Amino acid sequence: MVRPINALVSGLAFAAAAASMQAPASAQTQPAKPAQIVVNASGGAQAAALRKAFFEEYEKRFGVRVVDSSPADLGKLRAMVTTGNIEWAVTELNMEDAVRAQEMGLLEPIDAKIVDRSRFPANLQTRTHIYTRSAYSTVIGYRTDAFPEGKRPKSFADFWNVQAFPGPRSMQNSPIDNLEFALIADGVAPDKLYPIDVDRAFRKLDQIKKNVAVWWTTGAQSAQLLIDKEVVLGTAWNGRYYAAIQQGAPIAIEWNQGGIKESAFVIPKGAKDAHWGQQMLAVMSDAKLQAIYANIVTYPGLNLDATQYTDPKIAPHLPTHPDNLSKQWWQDVNWWVKNGKDVQDRWSRWVIAK
Amino acid sequence: MTDTAAAGATAANLNVTGLELSNVVRRFGAVTALAGVDLTVRAGELLTILGPSGSGKTTMLKVVAGFELPDEGSVRLGVHDITVASPARRNIGMVFQNYALFPHMNVAANIAFPLEMRRMAPPMIADKVAWALQTVGLTGYDRRMPSQLSGGQQQRVALARAIVFDPGLLLLDEPFGALDRKLREQMQLEVKRLQRRLGLTTLFVTHDQEEALVLSDRIAVMNEGRLEQLGTPQDIYAHPRNRFVADFIGESNLFHGRVTAIEGGIAVVAVASDLVLRLVAMAGMRAGAEIGAVVRPERPRRLGSGEAADNAVEGELVEAVYVGESIKYRLRLSSGAELLVRWPFRAGGEMLGGGARLRVGWDARDMHAVPWS
Amino acid sequence: MSVLTGVLGRRAGRHGPALALGILPIAFLLVLFVYPVLRLLLFSVENGSLAHFEKALTDGLYVQVLLATFEIAIVVAVICLLLGYPVAYLLATASPFWAGFGFALLLLPFWTSVLVRTYAWMIILGRNGIFNRTLLELGIVDQPLALLHNTTGVLIGMVHVLLPYMVFPIYSIMKRVDMQLLSAAEGLGASSAQAFRRIYLPLTLPGVFAGMTLVFIISLGFFITPALLGGGRVMMIGVQVERLVRQYLDWSLAAAVAVILLAVALGVAAFFRRVLKGDLTWT
Repeated sequence: MVRPINALVSGLAFAAAAASMQAPASAQTQPAKPAQIVVNASGGAQAAALRKAFFEEYEKRFGVRVVDSSPADLGKLRAMVTTGNIEWAVTELNMEDAVRAQEMGLLEPIDAKIVDRSRFPANLQTRTHIYTRSAYSTVIGYRTDAFPEGKRPKSFADFWNVQAFPGPRSMQNSPIDNLEFALIADGVAPDKLYPIDVDRAFRKLDQIKKNVAVWWTTGAQSAQLLIDKEVVLGTAWNGRYYAAIQQGAPIAIEWNQGGIKESAFVIPKGAKDAHWGQQMLAVMSDAKLQAIYANIVTYPGLNLDATQYTDPKIAPHLPTHPDNLSKQWWQDVNWWVKNGKDVQDRWSRWVIAK
Repeated sequence: MTDTAAAGATAANLNVTGLELSNVVRRFGAVTALAGVDLTVRAGELLTILGPSGSGKTTMLKVVAGFELPDEGSVRLGVHDITVASPARRNIGMVFQNYALFPHMNVAANIAFPLEMRRMAPPMIADKVAWALQTVGLTGYDRRMPSQLSGGQQQRVALARAIVFDPGLLLLDEPFGALDRKLREQMQLEVKRLQRRLGLTTLFVTHDQEEALVLSDRIAVMNEGRLEQLGTPQDIYAHPRNRFVADFIGESNLFHGRVTAIEGGIAVVAVASDLVLRLVAMAGMRAGAEIGAVVRPERPRRLGSGEAADNAVEGELVEAVYVGESIKYRLRLSSGAELLVRWPFRAGGEMLGGGARLRVGWDARDMHAVPWS
Repeated sequence: MSVLTGVLGRRAGRHGPALALGILPIAFLLVLFVYPVLRLLLFSVENGSLAHFEKALTDGLYVQVLLATFEIAIVVAVICLLLGYPVAYLLATASPFWAGFGFALLLLPFWTSVLVRTYAWMIILGRNGIFNRTLLELGIVDQPLALLHNTTGVLIGMVHVLLPYMVFPIYSIMKRVDMQLLSAAEGLGASSAQAFRRIYLPLTLPGVFAGMTLVFIISLGFFITPALLGGGRVMMIGVQVERLVRQYLDWSLAAAVAVILLAVALGVAAFFRRVLKGDLTWT
């Protein structure tokens, strides 16, 4: 049973109990090799892919065991850093949370001497505290048996067009992406999305609201809804639809107008295994290893050399494939960091309103 | 004139027929709990069902109360056939072994319960409850909860609740079992007085024969689903009809023997080669019959040397027990049989020591026969 | 010296075990319950201000979600009662074999995680789920019933998880009720219905109140089941608290909301205790 009050209470107790202790002495100059490090990430199928692509190599290279944990949790990161009781050497965060964490000083800088990002796109090389592990996209997916060839949704205008493309839809229970999708459906050019005209976006969302049967909460749910035919048209993260397609579900992905964004890994400020966390990021930057990872879950690494090692059959399913990339728009994470909370409250009010 | 007479006759009939059980049979699988019981409880009488556990007395009580239905036979209360009536419609007041007071209701509410179920008007209920409380001597206790009462008080409440609605029959299911001896005797007398005063037809179930002898107008002794004997306490005590009753009611000496002769209304019974007993012959008794000869322990008296009696035996004293107002002695007779005697103990009197030899005797009319088989 | 330590040692030896036995549970309660609750209170009144409470109690969103949460918790508790009371009665009066069998069925779901059970309900209740397909094939309905992604789905999922919390307290009270009291009541003129209403029901009320309190309070904290089975439209306050804690790091507002929930939970528990006491001295 998930009980947020309990979770909160025990979290606070934990934080408070540890607060009385002194933070450990400043980073060691000669980092000792620990028996193991903890890498915290989103969990699920991704954990197995991380192990196969990176952890196995890391363990072989350094003789340090890698333990994985989940989920990615900004609140927990903050509790760890403020109490000095830091379990994680590295943790995944979504970009929005990573930017917030950096603003609050919860992150160690990325050590360029260890982590080689020279083959990353230029704008990602200069991120001081945030390591861009991957890119993923929120895309349209639909049941191929509901929409015959030639009558398939190709855009968010189509997604909104319930006459031409009838059937129940699902979208994430979050304003992120959905406001942008609404604006695109309303005719805003993808390069003119930000700053978001929130009122206009909600007005457009009003039009589709009653046709959205499910506002999904978990990634697993998002794909299952199409598999179970609860909905015939939806949006979800590309890897989720890909996995369902691999299992034989009659589902297709439409990359057009997908919202691509970065997924980050960070090192908690004051982590006792910070050095070994930097080494983990170094391993994660290896083009060949990134290709192994992408072949499993279609979330590519950002080393430009990785493409040449990626299975050619997999490459068209990656959001960073040139054909796909050109159709999508990049999320402006800074806008969301600045406006996220207010827009989220407005979203909550809107979604529960009758 | 005729009408009035007829009405009077009906009323009289009502009065004499209390509870009537006819050929009541109740089986539980292969076990027959009641094997055709016929029993009439007269109006206003206190009749006790006495029997060991497993004798069927509890089943009988349940059949009367309506918690069990008989497989055969009928149950009538007054003019009504209640054989299959629901418990609620029988108008029987029952006092349970553990009183079964409603723990969430106070004393007044417990007593008012049967009246409320009868939709009596609240002012009348109040009057009746006050009367019932006064009757059982608990005036002023109406606001108490059952848990705040002693065992005796709880029993009085249970009694008040059972009589407050003027039941056609009062059922008492071993109600004194949980009380200590002194309180038990006090409550027995109170219940008896109350029953007399209110003229309540009462069926009382117990396994305690002493209690039965004290309280009852009549006693019905039950064993293995049958009525063994029905009679007044004196009758049952003095003249147990069979071995079971003789054994179960009070203490008794039972000798197994064969009638050798009947001489002038006195039967001669050979128990052993050197033990011959005499008793009053029963109608139809013939020589050669195998019988049990019963004598109560208080009947034998000590014989002086040369003193004669219808029955005279000599034995060795093997045990003496002081039991308050009397002393019990156990004698071993020369035949090997034992004889229990009980004699009053007078102040200043002496107890006989073990090993003494005694001669005791009793009259033929102090002994009677019961069928052996 | 050695005599002194010997005496002290003996004394400690005599009282030590009892003391240790007492200290452990007390320490346990202090560390795991009292201290966190105090910290929670402190967070909620950060900087000595009640602003967070003000926001939680005036912001339309929080008020609306709090009220919706209470409403769902009450409805779930009532449904659990209506289902759980007869179940508890069957278990309390069944033979040991059937009671054991019933308990096994009742406890079986505890062996699977709530998340798994929630997904199972999604498979059963969906438009193309087992239940609707069966109804359609049997011709009982010609349109699939909307059992999922709405309040109905949330209620079904929550009742399923919480039913045992209703059954157990009622069962344990029922087991203590002397069934002879019902015979007594019937013998005194009560019908079965009257005996139930006047005797059995009042005597089992403590179990009912315990079950209601338990189910209501646990319900307040639910969020993943409503989020998944409610299709996003049913939002319970737990979702808001979780978001404040994990995403927006507004722990003070989260604590204020949690304190409000705690107060309501305590209020409900106190209310049932009072009703119960009142009832016991009634009539």
